[in-house]
Amino acid sequence: MDAITLENVTKSYDSVTAVNGVNLRVRQGAILGLLGPNGAGKTTTIRMIMNILVPDDGSIKVLDQPVNDRTRDLIGYLPEERGLYPRMKVRDVIIFLAALHGLTEEEAGRRATEWLDRLGLAEWSGKKLVDLSKGMQQKVQFITAVIHKPPLVILDEPFSGLDPVNAATVEEIMLEMRAKGSTIVLSTHRMEQVERMCDSICLIDKGRNVLDGELRAIKQSYGKNTLHIEFTGSENFLSNPSIINITRLGNGVEAKLKPGADPQEILKAAVQANVSITRFELLEPSLNEIFIDRTTRA
Amino acid sequence: MRKLRLIIKREYLTRVKTKGFIIGTIIVPLIGVAFCLLIIFLVNHKPTQTMRLVIVDNSGTLAQPITHNLDAKLENGQPEFTIVETIVHPASPDTVQQDLRSRINSEKIDAYLWIPADPTQSFELHMRNPDNFALIGPLSGAVDQAVISARLSDRGVHLDDIKEILRGTDLKLLKVSETGESVEKGQSIGVAIALVILLYTALLMYGIITMRSVLEEKTTRTMEVLISAVSPFELLCGKILGVAAAAFTQFAIWMISTALLFTYGALAAAGMGQGSALSGVHIPISLVLYAGIFFFGGYFLYSAMFAAIGSACSNDQDAQQLQWVAMAPLVFCMVIYSVVLNDPTSTTSVVLSEIPFFSPVLMSLRISLQTPPVWQIVLALALLFLTTIGSIYASAKIYRVGILMYGKRPSLVEMFRWLRYS
Repeated sequence: MDAITLENVTKSYDSVTAVNGVNLRVRQGAILGLLGPNGAGKTTTIRMIMNILVPDDGSIKVLDQPVNDRTRDLIGYLPEERGLYPRMKVRDVIIFLAALHGLTEEEAGRRATEWLDRLGLAEWSGKKLVDLSKGMQQKVQFITAVIHKPPLVILDEPFSGLDPVNAATVEEIMLEMRAKGSTIVLSTHRMEQVERMCDSICLIDKGRNVLDGELRAIKQSYGKNTLHIEFTGSENFLSNPSIINITRLGNGVEAKLKPGADPQEILKAAVQANVSITRFELLEPSLNEIFIDRTTRA
Repeated sequence: MRKLRLIIKREYLTRVKTKGFIIGTIIVPLIGVAFCLLIIFLVNHKPTQTMRLVIVDNSGTLAQPITHNLDAKLENGQPEFTIVETIVHPASPDTVQQDLRSRINSEKIDAYLWIPADPTQSFELHMRNPDNFALIGPLSGAVDQAVISARLSDRGVHLDDIKEILRGTDLKLLKVSETGESVEKGQSIGVAIALVILLYTALLMYGIITMRSVLEEKTTRTMEVLISAVSPFELLCGKILGVAAAAFTQFAIWMISTALLFTYGALAAAGMGQGSALSGVHIPISLVLYAGIFFFGGYFLYSAMFAAIGSACSNDQDAQQLQWVAMAPLVFCMVIYSVVLNDPTSTTSVVLSEIPFFSPVLMSLRISLQTPPVWQIVLALALLFLTTIGSIYASAKIYRVGILMYGKRPSLVEMFRWLRYS
């Protein structure tokens, strides 16, 4: 059973086609990275999965059920636009939203205490949301997305505004949920997070999914075509017809090779130019590179 | 249904727990009641001490009847006035007056009454505190009665005969009901106008409360989290019903306090012998019920419109600019209601009171003036009900689109286009 199935989903606003024939299957128990430039149609796609928006065409299933008002309870959602009733108390707002997702108020209260403890908010539980810092509000909102133990969690930029300690806690909770069988959709612009956590990705650009599948397979399909070189000396050896793109890093460069090029040629050229090399490694391209490659193409 | 109940509960508790609601609901009517009671108490307040009075009679005839008339009693049964001394035709008026003034200042007496030789001249009451209306009222009455009685007997008429001749008639107002009976028509035009103002204010106030509540969820970006848990339609209905419940609470409290005020007010007034003034205001239960039904029908109609406006805007300024759309029909009711008031059965009045946007105010007004034929009330209710369903349906469509739209305020044309979105 797939956690999410999108078939040929299309959505337009007046003259703009926000999502154009997107197909996607998300395996249950996986973490999917939903990627794409700003305005690519990610939020529209998420809102259609949430049944907040209705697609013009195509079909959407969540855990094998066509989306409807009841499938909402199967999903935990952290929207990109954050906000909760500012004048409600932290604990009350968590219980209210948990109850809306089907928990009894006692059960919601019990879990609220646990979560507030775990995220270090216990002493704030009686305070109004408006009295909390942005990061703390973010954590409260994260609690409201996961408190009802939904089999599917959609998190839109869950780490923005969190310090490294809190970000690590949230990451740990996400991995825990995956271990218990939940499926997580993670929409983010932070590629290193995706590389570290996601099993598969879906890259949307201009309303279409331009790339989707298991992250490992995608990277392998690109092959080891990227040279990571750290060196001291002149850069002249890099002006080689085999290198089609150079990304400068702090301590070296990432050079993308023409298909079929021989990396040994580059190494030879470097030695002849008397460059002192400290690292020379043939790699798969980084997700960042893949992202830029696929979204700037034509 | 469970989710709807949760939304209603939160909305209701959020409303009734605010300071504004508590002040508006409990404290304001309490202050009103307290004010009325205070005025009644002050007007009705009886002095607690007997007034020691000296009468100086330059006429030689009036002192005796005035003394006779000053028979009012204090609450403890003691007489209100004691005549310490009566001086008839004082030999040297100035000396007497000087002496009396010094007796007042040394608190041996409280006041003296100066009766002029010619009763067409002014009588004078000299006292330390001339603002004591509780004493002046009965004294002035006693003097008037003595003088009038004297004038009448000069003409050979007895005062009691005059009272009998001048006794007023009682004009009873009766209303012919549709069942063909004449029933006492208690409520006055005053009640009708008060009803119009109350309905107008309440519809406007609760409509705007609903609008602001929707707007708050949008501006604080709480909306998207909410609609990840409930459908926009449930959210809209929950909000409207939650505010309605708060409105109902407020009305119930007001009604009970008004009933108490009337009961106590009537009792207090009856104690003053002016019971008829207040007990004449009689509000029939049927009017309260009809007005209540029309109010809630109107509330659902208007609050759905206000909610749609709130959902389409992203900030207070935009909402204020757009709220005239929902306000206009209500304001029109206030402009036109005098037409209905002057002639509730004219064709114009009947037609206006059938139009769903006006019927909550204008049909209630007609019912308060003269019960219209049943079919007119039923038709108005049916039209109101259908329009309300339509209004909620259309609002839900606009709401569903609007709650996720931020930025530039949509035009009315755009909002109409949203109605066609799936």
